[in-house]
This record gives sequence, structure tokens and C-alpha cells, in this order.
Amino acid sequence: MFLSVEEIVKHYDGVRALNRISLQVRKGTVKGLMGPNGAGKSTLFHLISGMESPDSGRIWFQEREITGLRIHEISRLGVGRTFQTLQIFGNMTVVENVLTGMHMRIKGGLLSSGLSLPWIRKGEEAAMKEAKEILERLGLFGRWKWFASQLSYGEQRRLEIARGLAAKPDLLLLDEPASGLTYPEAKQLAQTLSRLKEAGLTLFLIEHHMGMVMEIADEVAVLNNGELLAEGPPDVVKKDPEVIEAYMGKK
Amino acid sequence: MVDQVHKEFRRRDLLYSGALWLLSLIIPDPQLHYRREYRFRKRDLFYLLTILLLPLIWSDPHFHHIMVLGGIHGILALGLTLFLGYAGQISLGQAAFFGIGAYTTAILTTRYGFPSFLAFWASALTAFLFAYLIGRPILKLKGYFLALATLGFGEIFLVMVRESPRLTGGVIGIFDIPFFSFAGFIFDTYLKQYYLIWGVLMGLVLFSKNLIRSKMGRAFLAVAASEDGASAVGIDVSRIKLGVFVIGAAFAGLAGSLFASVMSTANPETFSLNLSVLIVMMVILGGMGNLYGPIAGAIFLTYLIDGLSRYQEYSLPIYGVILILLLIFFPDGIGTRLRIRLIYLISYWGRKRRREKVEL
Repeated sequence: MFLSVEEIVKHYDGVRALNRISLQVRKGTVKGLMGPNGAGKSTLFHLISGMESPDSGRIWFQEREITGLRIHEISRLGVGRTFQTLQIFGNMTVVENVLTGMHMRIKGGLLSSGLSLPWIRKGEEAAMKEAKEILERLGLFGRWKWFASQLSYGEQRRLEIARGLAAKPDLLLLDEPASGLTYPEAKQLAQTLSRLKEAGLTLFLIEHHMGMVMEIADEVAVLNNGELLAEGPPDVVKKDPEVIEAYMGKK
Repeated sequence: MVDQVHKEFRRRDLLYSGALWLLSLIIPDPQLHYRREYRFRKRDLFYLLTILLLPLIWSDPHFHHIMVLGGIHGILALGLTLFLGYAGQISLGQAAFFGIGAYTTAILTTRYGFPSFLAFWASALTAFLFAYLIGRPILKLKGYFLALATLGFGEIFLVMVRESPRLTGGVIGIFDIPFFSFAGFIFDTYLKQYYLIWGVLMGLVLFSKNLIRSKMGRAFLAVAASEDGASAVGIDVSRIKLGVFVIGAAFAGLAGSLFASVMSTANPETFSLNLSVLIVMMVILGGMGNLYGPIAGAIFLTYLIDGLSRYQEYSLPIYGVILILLLIFFPDGIGTRLRIRLIYLISYWGRKRRREKVEL
């Protein structure tokens, strides 16, 4: 299994955020994670990406146990992520944000960078070229010299995805990529995501935007109050009475 | 009629852009100070020539002496700006690393007869090692707690220096440290020392410039902007913090070594909290997140202290008032705000003239 979460439990001061959640993501697919506010979606992402560690249970990624590893170790294994509250680097330009995403793939240490040895320059030039290609793909090329803090909200969201892609992850966790976007922006984002999926990237995304999830997800899991309500293809989950109840309330 | 307006506009335009071009030579661009290209700019050449020619044109020994001190402070400020201005961490213990460098040189040259050139590198290495050992535990702290921990380290260093007279000469310190010499050439006049200090400073500026243009510099800025974001792309935040702390300390060690061999003495009063705060002030006054600003801040503060030392009893209040005024009117540092102010003034003058024309 590509990504596999087994019997995860997480408490916050007596509040049970996640209760024995198990789910899998298959390679090359798009999985959606849905649920009302406070259902534990972001908590699950924090646990997978290593920002927090679970109380019990295990997480496997590509035949390797990643439970309890720290966030940069997990991201080096090939799990990229974006954040619900944007974490772009506003003190850098757009292209530098993407270059920062490539940090682990550019060679060089403190001393060799400071002395600007020949291979450092070569690496920088190659990285710059690649970063511009990534920006081109996400439609941010025209902004590459801007400071990231000067971008609009939707562009900042896209920039965060671009930065995540720059690390060449095998799995990309997207925490509400469409939140705060206008309708055309969300539509454009959906197109971008489906192109990424065609390129062979595995996506795992949290989304409230029903239409978008139905459009691009191969499989959907629904969380409510830390419990897994339903899992399966979007059409089936959409008709699940428990899911409807969680979202709309009882009839 | 139309032609005339056009021509007039053009002439004025030329005037403004000329003024702006002159400004851009001298003062760093506030918006683009992170621009990293491997290019030697006109501004760099301007600074370089100024530094090289200034002491020859203005051959006043007192000026040379102040500039020697200013250069040493500049090295300290440069080391701290990587840590404070780029990586966004605060350190109030920079004077301790300065002291470690000075005492390493003092002890090695006076007790063991080391050549000062070797002692110079040994000082950087000692400061580096101390910073590594100190940094590992305390860099887990953030904000005020980090400031307090580094401050504590500075105080511990002072106490240890005072209480171990056998090694460091206690409160009296160490005297008769030989002048810096390399391959038989002794730096014994202020002018020679000026070129020594500023040569080292230029080398370090080049090193820092390369560093901030590389992936490491981006990692520093990333850590300052968002630690979560940085670690999500695989940056080991604690390692980056340690790296930049250690580099800043090594710079301070070099500065300390130069200080010891220029002043010929090392005593604990020099390396007190006052100096640490002064270094932080240099960085803040010069402007965060650029390399030349802190050096300008260092020269400015060195001059200020020297100028005020004549009015011994009033020097502290005057010093305080000047700093407060600067922080009110130049909160981003003199390097960045001065340019914005000047641009504003120039454009204001242009607008005013145009308005008068329209009224006619």
C-alpha cells in the first residue's frame, strides 16, 4: 500500500480528535477527505505529515513506517503538504519560494555556498530554470519577480502548491486548497490538480467544495467527530444516508 | 504648445532620474535587497572604491582609528544580521563570542607564542565550537526566551573570565598582545590596520553575499517567515538555526581576534552586555535583511559613541534620545528608510511644481 493509516488515535486534553481511523491511499489516485468543521481532517493531515504524533496507531508510507518521524524527515521521504492557513514565505520573491521548495534537491552546505564554489552556481542555475518551469505550469510565471506577500490570495494558494511540487513529492497533501478562492479560481485549481494527477502524482486533499471533490477525486473518505463515516467512490458516498445526515442534519 | 509641455516634462524627468540613479549607487534598494544574482553591481564598486580611497584622501589618524573600530563593529554586525536580519532569531550574546575570539588570540600569542595569523583562525574556530555547544540546547527556544538565554550566556562568560585570573588575567585582562603580522609585515599603524580590518570585512561581506544568494540564504529567510512552511519542504529548522548561529559566532570570533591584535589589550569590561546591545542596535539601525545596512549602522554608532565621549556625563541621555529619534523616524533602518524618504521628497517637489503650473 502507498499510504496506509492504521488505527490512529489522537486526543487533545480529553477531546477525542481522532478515534481509531484506518484508511489507505493508492498510488496515482486522488483521494478526498471530507467532513464538517472539527471533524478531525486537519488533525489527520498533521499526523501524516509529522507535525504532531499520534497517541496510538501507525502510519506507513511506501512500505516504511513514518509514525513519530519529524516533519522534515517525512517530507524528505516524499510527502509534501500545503497548509490551511497559508505558510508561504512573504519575505521572498515568488521564484525564491519555489526554489526553497527545492531545498533538498540542491547540493551545497554552509561553507561551499558561502565560497560560491563552481558546482553551487551550476546547481543554482539549473534549479532556477526548473523553478520557472514549475511556475509556468501553475500559471504564476508572470509574477516570478514579485514578492510572495504581494500576490493575491488565490495566487498565494497556487504558489504554495508550486512550492510543494518543487520538492518532487510522491504524495501531496492539500489542506483545503480551494478555501477562500473565487469560483473561477477554484475551477482553474481543479484543472491544475487533474493535470497533476495525469502526470502521476498522488493527491490527498481536504475539501469542503463538494463539486470539486466529485470532479477530481477517485475515492472519498468522510470524517465526523473523529470517526470514519464512509469511504468509497464519490457517487456512492454522496448518497450515503449517514453522510447526508452529518452534512445536512436529520430530516 | 503640446511640444513644449512634452519637452519640459522630459527635462524634469531627466533630473529626477539622475538624482535617483545617484541614490541607487549609494543606498540599497529597499524592495529588492533580497535580489540574488551573481553580479558585481555598480554600487558594490562604489563602496569598494570609497573604502579603498577614503583613508588616503582623509589622512587623519583619529579618523583611521575610528574606522578601524567601526570595521570591527561592522564584522560583528554582519555576523548578527545573518542571525537577526535573515533568520529572524535574536541573540544578546554576541559580545561573548567577540570576547572568546579576543581571549583566544590574546592567550595564544602572549603565552604560547603563536603567530597572530594562526591565532586569527584559531579564534574563529574556538568561537565556532563554543557556539555549537551553546547553540544546540538553547536554539530550541524562541523569541524573548532565546534573547534571555543568550544574554545569560554572555553574563556567564564575563563571570568566568573575571574569576579565572590564571588564564585570562581576571579583571585586569591581558596586555601587550602583538600587532597582527603576516609574512613579516606588521600592521602597526592605524592606516595599515584600517586596510587589514576592511579587507577582512570585505571578504566576509562577499562570503555572506554568496551565502544569502544560495539555498542556505533562502532557508534562513524561510525559517524567519514560517517554520512550519520551511520544514514542510524538508528544511531541518533546528539545523539551519544552529548553522547561522555558528557562522555569526565565527564572524564575532574573527572580529575579537582583530580587536585584540589592534588594541593590544583584552579585558572583560569590553565584552559586557553593553556591547551586545550595541551590536543589535547597529543591525536594527542599519536595516534588517540587508548586508550593507548593518555596516553603515556600525560606523554610525561608532562615530556617535566617539563624538559623545567628550560630554562624558551627558553622553548616555544624548545617546538614548538620538536612538529613540532614529527608531521613530527610521523604523526600517537608516539604509532603507533614507532612500524612501528621499524619493518621496523628490517626487513631492515634482508634484508641487506641476500643481503650480496647472494653476497658472
